[in-house]
Amino acid sequence: MMPGRRFSRLIGTDGAAIAIALLLVGALFAVTVPEFAAVGNLRYFVAEEVPILVITAAIALTIIVGGIDLSVGAVLGLSAGVSLWTSMSGLGPVPSVLAGVGTGALFGVVNGLIIVGLRLNDFIVTLGTLNVAAGLLVVLTGRIQLTGTDDDAYVAIARTPLLGVTTGILIAAAVAVLMHLLLRYTTFGRRVRATGLGVEPARVAGIDTGRVKFLCYVVSGSLAGLGGVLLASRLNSVQAAMTSGYELTAVAAAVLGGVSLAGGRGGIWQAVLGALFLATLRQGFRLLGVDPMIFAMITGLCIIVGVVADRSLRDLANRLTLRDTRRSIGVAQ
Amino acid sequence: MLHRASGRAERLISDPLIGILGLVLAAAVVMAFVQPTFLSLSNLTNIGGAMLAIAFLSIAMTVVLIAGGLDLSVGAVMALSAGVAAAVINNGVPLAGAFVAALVVGTGVGAVNGFLVTRLEVPDFIATLAVGGITSGFLLYWTRGVPILGYMTPAYEYVGGLRRLIGPITVPMLVLIVLALVTATLLHRTTIGLRLYAVGSSAAAARSAGLPVNRLKVYAYMFSGFVAAVAGIYLAGRTTTVPPSMGTGYEISAIAAAVIGGASLLGGKGRVLGALVGALLLTLTRNIINLTGVESSWQTVLTGAVLIGALLANHSWGDLVSLLRRPLRTAAHTEAYPEPTTREG
Repeated sequence: MMPGRRFSRLIGTDGAAIAIALLLVGALFAVTVPEFAAVGNLRYFVAEEVPILVITAAIALTIIVGGIDLSVGAVLGLSAGVSLWTSMSGLGPVPSVLAGVGTGALFGVVNGLIIVGLRLNDFIVTLGTLNVAAGLLVVLTGRIQLTGTDDDAYVAIARTPLLGVTTGILIAAAVAVLMHLLLRYTTFGRRVRATGLGVEPARVAGIDTGRVKFLCYVVSGSLAGLGGVLLASRLNSVQAAMTSGYELTAVAAAVLGGVSLAGGRGGIWQAVLGALFLATLRQGFRLLGVDPMIFAMITGLCIIVGVVADRSLRDLANRLTLRDTRRSIGVAQ
Repeated sequence: MLHRASGRAERLISDPLIGILGLVLAAAVVMAFVQPTFLSLSNLTNIGGAMLAIAFLSIAMTVVLIAGGLDLSVGAVMALSAGVAAAVINNGVPLAGAFVAALVVGTGVGAVNGFLVTRLEVPDFIATLAVGGITSGFLLYWTRGVPILGYMTPAYEYVGGLRRLIGPITVPMLVLIVLALVTATLLHRTTIGLRLYAVGSSAAAARSAGLPVNRLKVYAYMFSGFVAAVAGIYLAGRTTTVPPSMGTGYEISAIAAAVIGGASLLGGKGRVLGALVGALLLTLTRNIINLTGVESSWQTVLTGAVLIGALLANHSWGDLVSLLRRPLRTAAHTEAYPEPTTREG
C-alpha cells in the first residue's frame, strides 16, 4: 500500500544496507571467481581477518560512546610483539596471553586517563598513542627478532581446528557477540549509547559519563591486545609496521556498518559486517588478480562513501516516511 | 604610557611562545655543554634542513586549524607532490613545469578535502584521514612500491638545499621565510585572514555575520595542499629519492608543531611564528636524540608523546598563567574599587 514507507523502513533499519551490500559482493565473487566460495579459502580468509574484526568491534565501541580510538591498530601490533616475546622467553601460554592483553589494556587506561581526566581531544590523543605504540614496536623488533616461539600451546591458541573453523575465528566471533550483547542488553551498554548521544543530557540523567568513556577506552585497548595475541599466535612471527593502516580499515568498517561518527548510533554486529564486506572485497580482488596495492585507496574511498551514503539514505528514509505520514493523515504536500 | 608598556609586558609574559622559546634555548645551552658537536656548523645546518619540511607543513596545518578544520592528509599530499615532481622531471619536462604540476596536484587534493568537509559535510578528521589514505595508497599503487630515482639535476640540488647559495643560506630557507611572511601578512593584515579567524572561532557566528564560511574553509584546505606540495618539492630535492612511504608520520609532527605554537583544535587560534617555533622544538628534540646516541627508533615514540604533551601544555598554560595572575589582579582591583559594604536588611 505504501511502498515508500516499507522502503524507508528497510533502509532505515540498522545494518540492512551493509548486509545487502555484503551479500551482493559475496554472490558476485562466488559467481565470477569459482575458488572464492571454496570452504578452505573462506576459512583461510576469515582467519586472516580476525585481528581486523576484533579491532573493528573495539573502534565501534569508542565511536558509539562519542570518541574514537585510533590507536587500536598500532596497539594490536605492539601487543602481538609483547605477547610473542613473552612466549619466546619460555613463560608459557597463560602469561603470554596476559602480557598481550595487558599491554592493550595499559594503552586503554592511558588513553582513557588522558582523554577523560585531562579533557583532551580523543582523536589527537589516540593519534599520539598510536605513534607511541608503533614506535615501541619498532624499538622492540629492533632488539629482538620476533621470528617464532617453540611453545606449541601458544601457537594452538588461534590455530586449533574446531567446529569446522579455527579457534581464532571462534574467539573473534565470541568477542563480537559478547560486545553486541554488552552494548544492547546491559545497563552499561545503555549508558554508553546515552553518553554518545549527548554528554550533557546523559550527565543530567545521572550517568557518570567520564567513567563510562574511560571504561570504553579500557575495553577497546584490551580488545586490541587480544587481537594482537590472536595475530601473533596464528602467524608466530611479528614485524614492525605489520599493522600500520589497520586503524583506517577499522574506521572504514565501522562507518560502512552505519556507526555514526557523531556517536550514540550504530551497533557492533553492523560494524563487523562492514569489516567482512571490506574483507570480501579484498579477497575477491586478490583472486581476480587485481593489484593488492590498490586496496589502501579503496579503504579510504569506502570511508567517504560510507559517511555520505549513511547520511543520504537516512535523509531519504526520513523524507519518505514524512511524505507517507502526511498522505495518510490527509495533509497536502 | 607606563600603563600601556606594562600591559604589553604582561601580554608578553603570558604568551606561551615565550615559555617554549625558553625551553628551546635551555635545551640548546645544555646540549652545547654536553655535546660540543651540537653547535658545529654542520649540525646546525642539519637541524635547519630537517626542520624545513616540518616547518612548511606546520604552517599549512596552522592555517587549517585557524579556520576550524584539521588536515591529516598533509604528509600524504607532500609525498604525492614529491612523486609527481620527480616523475614529471624524469619525463623530460623542465624543472618549472614539474613544480607547477606538483603544486597543481597538491592544491587539487586540498580542494577535494575542502569539498568533502564543506559540501558533503564529512567530519574534517575523517575526510582528511580518508583522503590521506587514498593519496598515499595512490602513490604506492602508481609507483608499485618502488622509490622514484634519477630526477636530480644541479638546479634541483639548489632547490633541495644540497647546494648553498651564500654561506649557510639555502634556497628552501628563503622560500620558507617568504612563505611565512606572506602567510602572516595574509592572516593578520587582510580581510580574508581575519575572516578565517572568525570562521574558526565560531562558524555559526561567522555565517550569521554573512561570511562565506564554506568558501573560506575550502581556501584554507587548498592553501594547505599548496604548501604541502611546496614541502614535497623541497623534500624530493633533499632526499634525492621519493619512496612511497615518504610522508608517513609527518601529519603528526605538523599537528604537534602547530599546537606547540599555540594553534587550537577548537579553531580560531594560531600563528605562523608559533608554527615555526613548534617545528624548531620538534626538530631540536630529534637532533638531541640522535646526538646523544639513543636509537633513532625512539623518535616515533617521542613524536607521539610530544604531541600529547603539547596538547596538554597548550590546554593548561592559559589556566596556569591566569592562576598566577589572579591574586595580583584581585589585589589591585580591590584597591581601586573597594568592596561595597553589604547593606544590612
